[in-house]
Amino acid sequence: MEGKTGAKNCKLSRRGFIKASAVSLAALGTERMFAAGSDRLRIGLIGCGGRGEGAAKDCINADKGVELVAMGDLFKDRMEKTLEGLKKDFEANIKVTSNTCFVGFDAYQKVIGAGVDMVILAGPPHFRPIHLKAAIEAGKHVFMEKPAGVDPAGIRSLIATSELAEKKKLAIVAGTQRRHQAHYVEIMKRVKNGDIGEIVAAQCYWNGGDMLGYWKWYEKEPGMSSMEWQCRNWPWWTWLSGDHIVEQHVHNIDIVNWAIGSHPVQCMGMGGRQVRTLGNIYDHFAVEFEYPNGVRVSSMCRQITGCADRVSERIVGTKGATYTDSSVGYIEGAKAYKYEGPNPNPYVQEHADLIKSIREGKPLNEGRNVAEGTMGAIMGRMSAYTGRALKWDWAMNASKLDLTPPKYEFGDLPVPPVAVPGKTQLI
Amino acid sequence: MKRKLIEKKQQLSRRDFIKTSGTLGVAAILSNTGRIFAAGSDKIRVGLIGCGGRGMYDTTNCLKSAENVELVAMGDLFKDRLDSSLQALKNNLGEKVKVTQDCCFAGWDAYKKVVARDDVDMVILTEAPHFRAEHLKAAVEAGKHVFMEKPVAVDPVGVRSVIESSALADKKRLTIVAGTQMRRIAHLVAIMERIHNGDLGKILGGQCVRIGDGMLGWGPKERQSGWSDMEWQLRRWLFLTWLSGDFICEMHVHNLDVVNWSLDAHPVQCIGMGGRQVRTAPEYGDAYDHFAVEYEYPNGVRIEYMGAQIDGVTDRNDQRLVGTKGSAYMDFGNAIIEGEKPFKYDGPSPDPCIRQHADQIAAIREGKPLNEGKRIAESTLTTIMGRMSAYTGRALKWDWVMNASKLDLRPPKYEFGDLPMPPAAIPGVTQLI
Repeated sequence: MEGKTGAKNCKLSRRGFIKASAVSLAALGTERMFAAGSDRLRIGLIGCGGRGEGAAKDCINADKGVELVAMGDLFKDRMEKTLEGLKKDFEANIKVTSNTCFVGFDAYQKVIGAGVDMVILAGPPHFRPIHLKAAIEAGKHVFMEKPAGVDPAGIRSLIATSELAEKKKLAIVAGTQRRHQAHYVEIMKRVKNGDIGEIVAAQCYWNGGDMLGYWKWYEKEPGMSSMEWQCRNWPWWTWLSGDHIVEQHVHNIDIVNWAIGSHPVQCMGMGGRQVRTLGNIYDHFAVEFEYPNGVRVSSMCRQITGCADRVSERIVGTKGATYTDSSVGYIEGAKAYKYEGPNPNPYVQEHADLIKSIREGKPLNEGRNVAEGTMGAIMGRMSAYTGRALKWDWAMNASKLDLTPPKYEFGDLPVPPVAVPGKTQLI
Repeated sequence: MKRKLIEKKQQLSRRDFIKTSGTLGVAAILSNTGRIFAAGSDKIRVGLIGCGGRGMYDTTNCLKSAENVELVAMGDLFKDRLDSSLQALKNNLGEKVKVTQDCCFAGWDAYKKVVARDDVDMVILTEAPHFRAEHLKAAVEAGKHVFMEKPVAVDPVGVRSVIESSALADKKRLTIVAGTQMRRIAHLVAIMERIHNGDLGKILGGQCVRIGDGMLGWGPKERQSGWSDMEWQLRRWLFLTWLSGDFICEMHVHNLDVVNWSLDAHPVQCIGMGGRQVRTAPEYGDAYDHFAVEYEYPNGVRIEYMGAQIDGVTDRNDQRLVGTKGSAYMDFGNAIIEGEKPFKYDGPSPDPCIRQHADQIAAIREGKPLNEGKRIAESTLTTIMGRMSAYTGRALKWDWVMNASKLDLRPPKYEFGDLPMPPAAIPGVTQLI
């Protein structure tokens, strides 16, 4: 009985979501029905790796009404492991059955079609624009991990999809969780308020270790196709991850975009791999980004173990400077400030903000933000790979770089070479 | 007879130089003697140590920069370089080159023989950067004025030695000029006056970027059969860190010196990265082909340096500063301030590579102090610190590098024999010393 009531609620809930998506003000009526988190939110998880599992847990932690009803991944073994992990912690919220677990390159379509209100997109970055497009076209709200793509073609698609989501009143929240982190929000409020004067420069960094303990490397087993091998090792291939400047450092570039209120207008980058031998990604990048009004921003990212680690951002204005990292935020200068308040887990907060916006009928849409943050990182990578200075307008509108493989199927796929500046072609 | 007279005069001249070098109190005498030497009637005799391309270029400029400057001695590691350079200099400068076979010295101790000569007033030091510190020490101890090319060292040990030698030169009233000719480019001099005058307001940050030219065609590509490891490395010195300091030091010291100049300071700390993505063949030794270093100067001012020697990329060569009231852009041809006090240099641009020698010759003749030793040592250490940070992956503080680092790139022996090719640095693995 209870289950049935739940199912009814759920149906109403879904209908309500769709209504809210279709008509802006009518949503007010349904809003009250969803109050106090009493209604259920049926979600599907697309991409069942470590981050997918983490995002699903964060989502459930954010709202008691969340039920995971469908899952999809390229690999059965990954999905089963993730399902096990989710069940262990959240037995009550996991409503996935063997009929709603999908494997393969088309798993995302099946998850979207499995009666969900919202999807979590946590497949490798390469697939994000495709997955987002399918989800929004099907009328689903979306939480998607960063980055938003790996090439300009993908970013253009993602921006078009975000605009469609806007029209359809669908929510898109991206896994750039700093945007939902209390001390970042407070510092940025002050930056926007002019507390550091006019912004004249900035620095952002993600200098850390080689990631080998986190991003596993799978040796190619006999019988395993080259496509499967590359997909299993997705972080290490540019066509799948975008390289670490895109996959990881996008967080910090996004903060600079947020502070300045714009994406860069041009860049000049450099980089290479001095230690790393796996895949075809680099292990270090340094990029000078130029923003409107000649503001130059330095970006550095490195994945080499045993070096000086630094993951932070600094915004320099005529009257002061900000410092932010994942745990601290302060302003030095005429209007000095240090955030001392509570710091709720931003990985949960971003889901809470997302679900709240859905329930209130005021869907958040972070699609363009994360697309532009990602595009800055892609442009930096393209500049470092080729050695060429690049303009945003060219990269965004004219670049034909499209890292899509000839076919999405487990078969042969040549191993892509490591980029060599001055030789690798600008496309 | 006439010749004897001139020689006597020169001896007096040299004696006076030594006198002024010895005591501060004789400065008054000096200005008197200054008058005796007026109108360029006194001869300045130059010894060249390091007869490569730069040595010939500097010697040519030096001898053309003022009247009565002659080349009287030469030294180089290699006899072939010595002979070909002497011939070329004679062809180019004619009578100003007084070098005979018995004042040409080859080998490891050639520099000692040049500085030991009484008839040398001044030396031009243009051997590979590795040797600069030792050559400077010998020259100053022997009481010679010095023009030395940049950079002036490849490691902190060498930098410390240069600073000591520079202090000794001050005591001895000897002049030292460094080949960082950007300090004498007219438009940079003009913009620096404005920057130092506060036209940008308080400086908040900046960039220093030099990208282009892979230098892949530099030097002999084929190792000759008779060449020892040591000789092979010396002939390829540009690509060996122990000899050149790597390109951030060897070449980009110019640009980072401009940054130090503009901020009137050296950095307090840095974090760098780099690698070799193109210059990976064995003949490129252990040199990197790209570096990116963030330098932090006093008051939290961060300057981002990016340098690369790679062909086929977007070339850049510029420095930029941003302050509370404006920004400055500087390159080889331009000096522009935008902001509250805009400025654009459009005056004449005399050749700074001649000017630096003319200034030195004038200072010697007028007995005026001119010592750029400490300044160029600091700019050199700026680059060395960036390289050390990139090679090891570690963030470094100036005080540690200047005072505590034990990095000393001298080989076990200076002799033509076996010497393993050093491996390229690997961040996180290469030890910080």
